Amino acid sequence: MAEETLVKKLKVLNEYGIHARPAALLVKAAGKYECDIFMEKDGNKVSCKSIMGLMTIEGFPGCTMTVTTSGSDAKKAMDEIEELFLNKFGED
Amino acid sequence: MAITVNTLWEEGSENLSLSIIAGEQYLDRKLQETTMNRPGLALTGFFQYFANQRLQIFGLAEFTYLKSLPQAEKVKRLEDLFKQQIPGIVITRNRKASKEILALAEQYKVPVLRTSMVTMNFVNECTVILEKLTAPQERIQGTCMELMGIGVLLRGDPGIGKSETALSLIERGYSLVSDDVTEVRKTTRGRLVCWANEVTRYHMEIRGLGIIHVPSLFGVAAIRRQTELDLVIDLKPPTGNEDRTGVHPDEIEIMGVKVPCITLPVRSGRDMANIVEVAALNQKLKELGHDAAKELDDKIINRLTKGRVRNG
Repeated sequence: MAEETLVKKLKVLNEYGIHARPAALLVKAAGKYECDIFMEKDGNKVSCKSIMGLMTIEGFPGCTMTVTTSGSDAKKAMDEIEELFLNKFGED
Repeated sequence: MAITVNTLWEEGSENLSLSIIAGEQYLDRKLQETTMNRPGLALTGFFQYFANQRLQIFGLAEFTYLKSLPQAEKVKRLEDLFKQQIPGIVITRNRKASKEILALAEQYKVPVLRTSMVTMNFVNECTVILEKLTAPQERIQGTCMELMGIGVLLRGDPGIGKSETALSLIERGYSLVSDDVTEVRKTTRGRLVCWANEVTRYHMEIRGLGIIHVPSLFGVAAIRRQTELDLVIDLKPPTGNEDRTGVHPDEIEIMGVKVPCITLPVRSGRDMANIVEVAALNQKLKELGHDAAKELDDKIINRLTKGRVRNG
């Protein structure tokens, strides 16, 4: 499969932002894929496969994150990450 | 749960300094109520309320009172007591049982025991033993260790490395309670106490080595007779679905008691003993009221909420 790179801006919709539980969900989802997945905000870029990284990126409620996936399964990974954002990480 | 006087005799005769002075053949009498009664009031002739299903304790008070009675009255009062189908009598302070008591014990088929302990100490000690004997008990699969006062039960499929992990923990200076088969008792305080089966106690089976005797190899500091259970650790092949934050820890129920439960993925080359050690330390910290995962999450939520972006 072709190597591809996808970039999407995703908005944090849940009440408390990216705290421990959403971070854990993102890491678990990202961990399933071969491709590199990064999350960027205000010039800070962390791996979406690192829970400590995600907890330091300050995913405030209402802010927008830039997610980059690159690799053979980039599309699938991006779909799942986007789904999590849209579902407010299963929170209110 | 009712036990017989014989069970108490077999399990407690040593700690309670007991000897049998009459009615040995009647030791199978049941203690319907597994506690004790001082029959002083019954000896005065009051039977409207008498706990006749309990073990009857004859202490200094009973003996002094009996001594104050005329002989004929004394025999009558004692006989009235024996007629109540009491399960057994214990005489404390090594007092000599009178001829009358011995004769009545035979006549009414009641075992009579004697202890050198004073009544108060006997009652305290015997209560603890009776509680142990009647507590609900189960046998569960798992290796039990004690780490710095924290009781940890390691579970997992055969061959996953429970015993190997236990061995590494012993080498780090912690203590083995039981290998692979653990007896559990629920105390009246709602805690679980683990210990090992009498026969295999302090032995371990290590694959490729066979059976070893832990205190012979590592010294008596490497073993613990029993421990209260604080944490269950399940060793499992990796699934990718493990807990990543520890903010919402799992619990399992053993005999109706909830115990925190952690699932650890086992990969070759991973130092499980080290992780189990940290898990136990972390549990100790939580019991002291310091939950690191939750505190960090609260801190992050606090920061994130302050930075909320409106219409962003």
